[in-house]
Amino acid sequence: MEEKMKIKFLLNKKNIEVEVLPNRRLIDFLRDDLDLIGTKLGCGEGDCGACTVIINGKTANSCLVLAPQVDGKEVITIEGLGDYDKLDSLQQAFIDEGAVQCGFCTPGMLLSAKTLLDENPKPSREEIMRSMSGNLCRCTGYVKIANAIEKVANANN
Amino acid sequence: MEELSVVGKSVIRKDALDKVLGKTRYSADIKMPGMLYVKVLRSTVPHALVQKIDVTVAKALAGVAAVLTADDVPGLNGHGIIIKDEPVLVKDKIRKIGDPLAVVAAETEEIAIQALKHIVVELEELPAVFDAVEAMQDDSPKVHGKSNILAVRKIFKGEIDEAFAAADIVVENVYYTQMQEHSYIEPEAGIAYMDGNQVVIKASTQNTHFDCREVARNLGVPQSRIRMIQAPTGGGFGGKLDVSVQIYLALLAMKTRKPVRLVYSREESIIASTKRHPCRIRYRTAADKQGKLLAVDVEAIADTGAYASYGPAPVTRLAVHATGPYEVPNVRIYAYTVYTNNPTAGAMRGFGVPQAAFAYEQQMDMIAERVGISPLAVRMINSLKKGSKMATGQMIPSGPGISSTLLPAYDKAIQTKALAGYEPSVKKRGYGLGCMFFGVGNTGQPNPAGAFLDLLDDGSANLMVGAADIGQGSNTILAQIVAEELGMDFEDVQVTSADTGVTPDGGATSASRQTYISGNATLLAAKEVKQLLLAEAAALFGVAQDKIVLKNRQVMVVGQESKDGISIKQLITVCRSKGKMTLGHGWFNPSTTALDDETGQGEPYEAYSFGSQVVEVEVDTETGVVEVLNLYAAHDVGQAINPLHVQAQIEGGSIMGLGYGLYEDMKKVEGKIKTSSFATYLIPTSLDIPSIQAIIVEDKADTGPFGAKGLGETSLVPTAAAIANAVYDAVGIRIKSLPITPEKVLRALEETR
Ligand code: FES
Ligand code: FES
Repeated sequence: MEEKMKIKFLLNKKNIEVEVLPNRRLIDFLRDDLDLIGTKLGCGEGDCGACTVIINGKTANSCLVLAPQVDGKEVITIEGLGDYDKLDSLQQAFIDEGAVQCGFCTPGMLLSAKTLLDENPKPSREEIMRSMSGNLCRCTGYVKIANAIEKVANANN
Repeated sequence: MEELSVVGKSVIRKDALDKVLGKTRYSADIKMPGMLYVKVLRSTVPHALVQKIDVTVAKALAGVAAVLTADDVPGLNGHGIIIKDEPVLVKDKIRKIGDPLAVVAAETEEIAIQALKHIVVELEELPAVFDAVEAMQDDSPKVHGKSNILAVRKIFKGEIDEAFAAADIVVENVYYTQMQEHSYIEPEAGIAYMDGNQVVIKASTQNTHFDCREVARNLGVPQSRIRMIQAPTGGGFGGKLDVSVQIYLALLAMKTRKPVRLVYSREESIIASTKRHPCRIRYRTAADKQGKLLAVDVEAIADTGAYASYGPAPVTRLAVHATGPYEVPNVRIYAYTVYTNNPTAGAMRGFGVPQAAFAYEQQMDMIAERVGISPLAVRMINSLKKGSKMATGQMIPSGPGISSTLLPAYDKAIQTKALAGYEPSVKKRGYGLGCMFFGVGNTGQPNPAGAFLDLLDDGSANLMVGAADIGQGSNTILAQIVAEELGMDFEDVQVTSADTGVTPDGGATSASRQTYISGNATLLAAKEVKQLLLAEAAALFGVAQDKIVLKNRQVMVVGQESKDGISIKQLITVCRSKGKMTLGHGWFNPSTTALDDETGQGEPYEAYSFGSQVVEVEVDTETGVVEVLNLYAAHDVGQAINPLHVQAQIEGGSIMGLGYGLYEDMKKVEGKIKTSSFATYLIPTSLDIPSIQAIIVEDKADTGPFGAKGLGETSLVPTAAAIANAVYDAVGIRIKSLPITPEKVLRALEETR
């Protein structure tokens, strides 16, 4: 048996201290051990972005990250973005603008959008498109997703 | 027309909130205590006889709960939407790479994978066939039985040979279309467990009642012993119409009496699921000097792969729509569905019609050029419209045909064109048109759907429908229909869908049929409840029933709306006090007739949706890259029940069409898929999309709920064809095979130099 490693990190603003196997993927740790099922597995190869999380302010495909790699870092998943009683403005905009169909890409899309707006509160349409180029969506054709992000950006001053 | 209050409004989707919060539990997110993990052993060769599958070692591994092979299937070892030619687990003959040989349930996923490695398979490889045209030859290896020709759809109308002899213009070409993958982002997955003597399955699917019938047949138990529930489904597009995980899960839940879960990897999803039929279409068109179509003569050969799946149905639909949305007096169509040892082709959004459109729309432009009229003009003079006869002899029941969509799309494009400051360089721009029509529902087959409605004491309602919402939004649309009919708020209607324990059969979420067919069933259920309420209210107010209106949760007498009526809730209380329940049910089956086997004549659909797209492309003559700059997509949906989501369907569908036109290509060598990941099979990303204008056109269908028709597939159909025409407009080359890759463009440019 491989030896487990102790890791400490900030997950959705809460301190986490756990022991994990060195080869445990972050996505499996989140989904299986913590039941944070909002992080989706679409490919497991870094191609679809459904598993996007935010690590130290940057988006990452959690299927390509090993759990020990987040030791000492801050991780945000979709569960940390908002909740029933306090939706993030991006979540509200996705709902209002019709950006959600099957919803499987939605958590990843939202976290990519969140990262974009944190870095660049007033992105151009082109910058919005570029920011989500790592997140595949087969349902929407991306138009309504971009509209939603743009709406939130326009409300930023 | 009375003003609508909920239908026609872009109400917020019922499922959006949980989805943006990441709370929606799709199949792979469901966990149960003691759950076992399932893996499937699949064939790595395309054609072989199985001599032995030895699972002794695998079974004995610690942590393995069960290993099943063909001998463990208690009922029929076969499934399939049209014919049951696909084994649940292969007994004696492998027909494609990916064929399932054994399934394992184990305590962990790792153990299940280990167990697969310990299964010993002995087989004798057979010569295989990977080309549909070759497969039609007498001496080709046979996939099933004595012939690889699974079905031939013939459609004959008029006098074809005379028409060609008399024609001023004849245009003949051969077109090739590729295999396309649905690429839903959620791979197939499901869980099953025993609840008493019932097997409960929750899975990602487009048709629970079909799944239930399949599973019951394979298990050899009554259908009532299977409860098939659709888990929230991350897209389908036709690829989740066939069963995927359901039968394996049911077998293993029965066997182990434990919860079992199976989640496909992306690669397994791509290898095991069906695809869009690759086709070779030989297309001959005859026209007169004015550009009026006289005849079309089409031969389509579709590679359906190793199993029938939906196969013959899309090929039939291809044949029925092969003339395009045009009136053609003389027609001869042969469409062959052919088995090969390739991956199975089945249903995919558009269902054969995108292939046909790629051919017929280029033919139309070539006719226009020969006559010396515009692409717009050739389409307008030939358009089907109310009363004109299609290839099957059916009269188009209503509407002006394509003009109501073509003209607005064209006008929008022209307006934008005038504004674009464009300097020709090595990059050349051009415009192309693509038009389509699409019959709503299954082709000439009964395909009913049902609905149950329970109006509760407090004036809210439970609607139960078999229709699977796979992300397109049917739960929302059907609730809007109930709310509209009963004067309720949208929020008052809760929808339970696609659960064979609770809901009536809704048929497949395919053929763009749920808004129309389940919508009509839902409307009938609401009308039944309404009838009860009206009778009660009429008695209460002492007026005739037709003087009662239900609106804003109130019951009022016509002409006295300002007076205090009573609430619907109060009226229900009156019903209850008399022991009357406010239940409704409805079912709807579109009126169609089967196509004649020999002539293809018949009335295959009750309603038709029309649409037109104009695309502007830029072709880089140095690299061959085609970029779509603008896409104007106008689609007639009868009545947009939820306009925002109609737009979303138009946008999503046309972008899938753009992928089909420019890069998507499921490459395979000797039956082996070479593009089994999103790194190798490219679907459009946010960087690939043009500026899109979705234009909603509403030519109401008398037979649709509030006039609505289907639209799920329509927007994909004409896009690739429009792009091909735009490329010609830009640089004068005709690309007759999909996708339109830079290599093909450069090669064609070379040839013209
Ligand atoms: S699941 Fe991680 S990128 Fe697709
Ligand atoms: S909404 Fe279905 S993949 Fe994006």
